[in-house]
Amino acid sequence: MSLSAKQLIIAFLGILFLASLVLVQYTEVMRREEEAGLREHKVAVPESSKRCFECHRQTNPGIAEHWLGSTHAQKGIGCIECHEAQTTDADAFSHEGYTIATIVTPRDCSKCHPKEADEFQNSHHAMAGNILHSLDNLLAETVEGSRIPFDPHSKTPGRPDIDGKVNGMASAFTGCQQCHGSLVGFAGRDGKPVTMKDLEPDAAGKPTNLEAVARITKNADGKPIFSPGSWPNTGIGRINVDGSRGSCSACHSRHDFSPRRARQPENCGKCHLGPDHPQKEIYDESKHGIAFADLRHKMNLDAKDWVLGKDYSAAPTCATCHMSGHSKNEGTITHDPGQRISWTNRPPISLAMDTDINGKVVTEADPAKRNELVKDTWQNKRDRMTQVCSHCHTNDYISSFYKQYDDFVQLYNEKFAKPGTLIMNALKANGLITKPNFDEEIEWTWFYLWHHEGRRARHGAAMMAPDYAHWHGMYEVAERFYMELIPQAREHCEHGRQNGKAKEADDVLALIDSILARPEHKWSKGEAK
Amino acid sequence: MGAGLVASYGTLAWFASRFLYPKRDEEGAWLFVCTVNRLEPGSSLLFKIPGGETIAVARNGRGADAGDFVALSSTCPHLGCQVHWEANKDRFFCPCHNGAFDRGGKAIAGPPAQAGTDLKQYRLRVDGSLLYINVPSELLAKAEPNGKPAREARGELHGRIVERVAVRGPGHDPCLAPRNPETSREC
Amino acid sequence: MTAGSWLRERFPVDGDQLRELTNEPVPAHLKRWWFCLGGTPAYLFLVQIVTGILLAFYYQASSTNAYESVRHITEDLEYGWFLRGIHKWGATLMVASVILHQMRVYFTGAYRKPRELNWIVGMFILLCTLVLGFTGYSLVGEQLSYWAATVGANITNNVPLIGPTLGRLLIAGDQINPQTLPRFFILHGAVLPVVLVLLLFLHITILRLHGVTDFGATKEEKEKRFDFFPDHFLTEVTIGLVLMILLTVLATVFPVGMGPAADPLSTPEVIKPEWFFLVTFRWLKLMPITAAILSLGFIFFVMLIWPFIDGWFRKRRPASELSVWIGILAVLAIIGLTVWEALVQH
Repeated sequence: MSLSAKQLIIAFLGILFLASLVLVQYTEVMRREEEAGLREHKVAVPESSKRCFECHRQTNPGIAEHWLGSTHAQKGIGCIECHEAQTTDADAFSHEGYTIATIVTPRDCSKCHPKEADEFQNSHHAMAGNILHSLDNLLAETVEGSRIPFDPHSKTPGRPDIDGKVNGMASAFTGCQQCHGSLVGFAGRDGKPVTMKDLEPDAAGKPTNLEAVARITKNADGKPIFSPGSWPNTGIGRINVDGSRGSCSACHSRHDFSPRRARQPENCGKCHLGPDHPQKEIYDESKHGIAFADLRHKMNLDAKDWVLGKDYSAAPTCATCHMSGHSKNEGTITHDPGQRISWTNRPPISLAMDTDINGKVVTEADPAKRNELVKDTWQNKRDRMTQVCSHCHTNDYISSFYKQYDDFVQLYNEKFAKPGTLIMNALKANGLITKPNFDEEIEWTWFYLWHHEGRRARHGAAMMAPDYAHWHGMYEVAERFYMELIPQAREHCEHGRQNGKAKEADDVLALIDSILARPEHKWSKGEAK
Repeated sequence: MGAGLVASYGTLAWFASRFLYPKRDEEGAWLFVCTVNRLEPGSSLLFKIPGGETIAVARNGRGADAGDFVALSSTCPHLGCQVHWEANKDRFFCPCHNGAFDRGGKAIAGPPAQAGTDLKQYRLRVDGSLLYINVPSELLAKAEPNGKPAREARGELHGRIVERVAVRGPGHDPCLAPRNPETSREC
Repeated sequence: MTAGSWLRERFPVDGDQLRELTNEPVPAHLKRWWFCLGGTPAYLFLVQIVTGILLAFYYQASSTNAYESVRHITEDLEYGWFLRGIHKWGATLMVASVILHQMRVYFTGAYRKPRELNWIVGMFILLCTLVLGFTGYSLVGEQLSYWAATVGANITNNVPLIGPTLGRLLIAGDQINPQTLPRFFILHGAVLPVVLVLLLFLHITILRLHGVTDFGATKEEKEKRFDFFPDHFLTEVTIGLVLMILLTVLATVFPVGMGPAADPLSTPEVIKPEWFFLVTFRWLKLMPITAAILSLGFIFFVMLIWPFIDGWFRKRRPASELSVWIGILAVLAIIGLTVWEALVQH
């Protein structure tokens, strides 16, 4: 090669080198603009979701913005990955050339998060939908509302559009079901909703009852219409049309699915608050909540794994103790909060959290039979919680705390819950009160005692909020017991005696007297202190 | 050939010198102050940035461009005391050595006037109806939103309005001034 | 007095001497590009020195600050990501070109008498380059860095007799501690580069003294020469530019990001060294550690004295092509082990 040819080549390469440095300059400028916040962090909208994104960015900018800030966006998980459906799905419809479904169920999430979905399906959270048509829901569906629509009694001026039937389920829909989860259904052609109970989904979530599928009403575009009470709904125990239970967005709000948010107590506070189970308020009052309020900025809430004792140790949140990974369990997260709870304080009488193969609390009393049924003992659960506690507390401290807690639960159980249950059962068995619930004052009294005050007391003890344990708790339990439940029970007996149930009344009165003669109740007769 | 070599390796050397030259970081961070309509013409507010510095932001014009607003440091350029707005005298006043500045931050009396040092101005930007202020990084360096150093958490930096002042409002209490109910929420 | 004569008076070299010094005629075969592989690592070494010095302005060799300072370079400083990218990709290319150069020398038999010593110097240059690579990625403060250093120390500890002493010397204790990184940094940024410069000086001096190996078959071909300057020099400049373009594009298109920060408490499930150590890593997994280390030492020793072994053999069987076959086998084995290690999970 001649010298001048070489020189030409070098000149050419020099220019090429310069061009590649221009590329460097361009990258640098982009980087700096991004850093200064003048440019969005580069999130590549996956090709498959580009059209969804462009259009919904115009129509629902909030969804698009939220998604842009999500880890999903960073990892290239777009719209279609979650909303994709097969034509054989009950809720599938064709939208702009894609077959999609509106509701993303835990079954959909489990495609990428199988462990989390599994743990969740076994949790009490997933069972929250069972409350529908249960005792609690009698209140919303019947007492507060009405299971049958009824006619309004006068017009609402200015709103002729709402003068149709009154939807008696409204309180259940907006109250109970937004936490507990709805039984998701479609509006049926015959007026009855089409739910998973009709669709009978198989193991893969596909409906097997095609007659039910045919009953689903669809709009002009072929999109199935949900029965309005059941959707929108992010209740944690939502019963989806594919048969899966729950809603991941109950805690991991769509569409940014922020782990940060799920780690904070406010997230749980959507449901765990109020008169019957004020866990959020209890937490806020506890040393744990106080520390969190102060040290929130040291919680490293954006950490990738958020392992207690490694990524943070400033304060515990709900998630820290009940779900999150910590340095003593290799950072293993559980999506079943029940795995670390040793007492269930949900029922009138607290039960040890011995659970069976399905994660249900074992109520069997016979030790041998119980042993057979129990798959995970309360002690295992307590040991798991103890591991968490031990990040900040010594073992002596923890076991002494649990002693205090056990004593408290036992006191409540033995002094009020078991006697109250006996009395209520006796009244009902003897026909001194009617079968339906909540039609007599004493049924409200008893409900207040265990469901509101009794739980407040026990939760207060469990999570170290003295005011809830005492003034909002045991104090009110005691007042309710002595000043309302006992007098009302006696009244029902008197009433029964006058209505030809003397024998039954005497039996129940004898029971009440025998209870009050117990040493712990003697004081109420002025006999002991 | 020579030109190609000099240009390309020269550019590389330029990059290297940029790399070595300490970053002056004139970019700073843009912090949201308030919506334009919440700062009426003639009124001002004190804005505390995450690092602790307080900045007086006033609206001097009726328009809604960045030019209708002015943002002044409340730190006196003389010895670093805090200046405050004196509505009756229409000036910023520094109590330490009787320094005074006009509404635009220009030194009009006291040691700052002698030295010709005005109050430091901050850049403002109106985006739609939102007013943003540009705060240099060194002022933010002390801020630690969520426990992270400021430079790692640009997006999490938020300032705070600590006081609203009606420049020519009756009485000394800004809340007594007749004003749009939306703007008196801070009272 | 002109500026030229002023200078010549103080720097007493005239043009002819300078030309003689710099301008040895080189054999015609150097017109072919693949005979320039020796200049490539030299040029890359220059790039490494320049970018390395630039990075050292900001790098902090302490266990607490290393990661943060590298992050600062990569994410905060202007063109920091670019310079670090060039340094990192330059290292990769340098190792690759040293190996290619050595292969070229081997297969063309350029190491043979009287150039045995230069082969030995070259072996030490290879060793030096590899250790530079190793200490380099141990400095970043990432998980890979930490565990690479740990693995390196463990391997050293297993060398019979002197291992434990050497290991302690390498990481300044029994395990990685705050004194480890400064050691690695000084090795990487001062000791090894100086050693490498000296070795290169020796390498080139020996080369100049012997002249470039002649491969011409005929006497006529052997005598065909061309000037080093400017002809061959321009070839080297061209190669330099190609390398710069390659490095720039690599650094921009495959930017070097930040891995997870070093965490002594959690060993990554899969530790893989940089590609040029994959072969050694696989070798270590194939047999007990001491055996592996001893055999590696033996292989290195054989490679080191290969010119003499080869010479002894060729005295007996002058026409033998054995060395070529051994070379092919060795290359295949190295590629095989590397690919094996790269593909398997554990």
